[in-house]
Amino acid sequence: MPKEHPIEIFMPPNMLKAKVGGSVAGLDLGAIKRAEAAMDALKTDFAQWIADDVERLGKARDGFAATRSAETREALFRAAHDLKGQGATFEFPLIARMAASLSKLVDALQEPAALPLNLVDAHVDAIRIVFRDKIHDTSNRMAIVLAEELEARVVETLEIAARAA
Amino acid sequence: MSGYRFDRLKILVVDDNAHMRKLVVTILQAFGAIQIFEAESGERALGLMRDTNPDVIILDWMMEGMTGLEFVKQVRASAQSPNPFVPIIMLTGHTHIDHVRQARDCGVNEFLAKPVSVKAIMTRLVAVIEHPRPFVRTKAYFGPCRRRRATDEYRGPERRASSPATTVE
Repeated sequence: MPKEHPIEIFMPPNMLKAKVGGSVAGLDLGAIKRAEAAMDALKTDFAQWIADDVERLGKARDGFAATRSAETREALFRAAHDLKGQGATFEFPLIARMAASLSKLVDALQEPAALPLNLVDAHVDAIRIVFRDKIHDTSNRMAIVLAEELEARVVETLEIAARAA
Repeated sequence: MSGYRFDRLKILVVDDNAHMRKLVVTILQAFGAIQIFEAESGERALGLMRDTNPDVIILDWMMEGMTGLEFVKQVRASAQSPNPFVPIIMLTGHTHIDHVRQARDCGVNEFLAKPVSVKAIMTRLVAVIEHPRPFVRTKAYFGPCRRRRATDEYRGPERRASSPATTVE
């Protein structure tokens, strides 16, 4: 009796290749140049976009401060996580770094009561300062010291939480 | 050389952040894509899949309601899925290797970590066009093969049970 194979592997037809053609091997440099120009043209909107995201983070912080629940913690995490991903895209890499630190903190402490509001506030305030002062430069000394301090506090907080668990 | 005919592709962009959608759509339009559909949630994206039958999906992970991973599971495994084979590029702020594994284990074809760049989007599109992965069906998984390299890249000795034994000195 033939052995029954629990794994089936098959290659579906490559319809994508059939549709788009194959005249270029590798990256289409002309298309990349056009897209970079289009992205440059969008950059005038980036400041407003990041302003919207910073405001959303502030509202999420306020909601969490008013009612500590799984829902408000999740909203805070999502706002921080979005800024982590979008900050650098929208030319605020230090906001992305600080938001990454905040999202790490919120993600690690699932219990809303365990999340220290003062450390959340420190992150939100720092992000607001970087935005207010339009700090796009990753070598800005003041902002780097602030980011490093926030990251150190998060590590310390998570170590304490791990020891207590 | 004329390049890829992106104008022939139907691309679905799923992200609950309108700014990120606009950025990705702008880049795709500059590539030449004209049939671009947008969804702000996984639920809406499933409906659009049925209506438009996209060739590629660019998907955010972290969304309100149905997450990106839940959407991928629906597309790959649900009996109601409009197209379980559609290539999915996951665009996300998650950057840890565990997240890459999690996305891969759900059936994502390509993983694209933010920040967004033109070249990164083009590279992932080219990857799904030029290097489609075989599909795997097991009891627990259905989706693109989770091994990065194609099986025909293996150049070592054949070690399957059905093959003649090889002796390495």
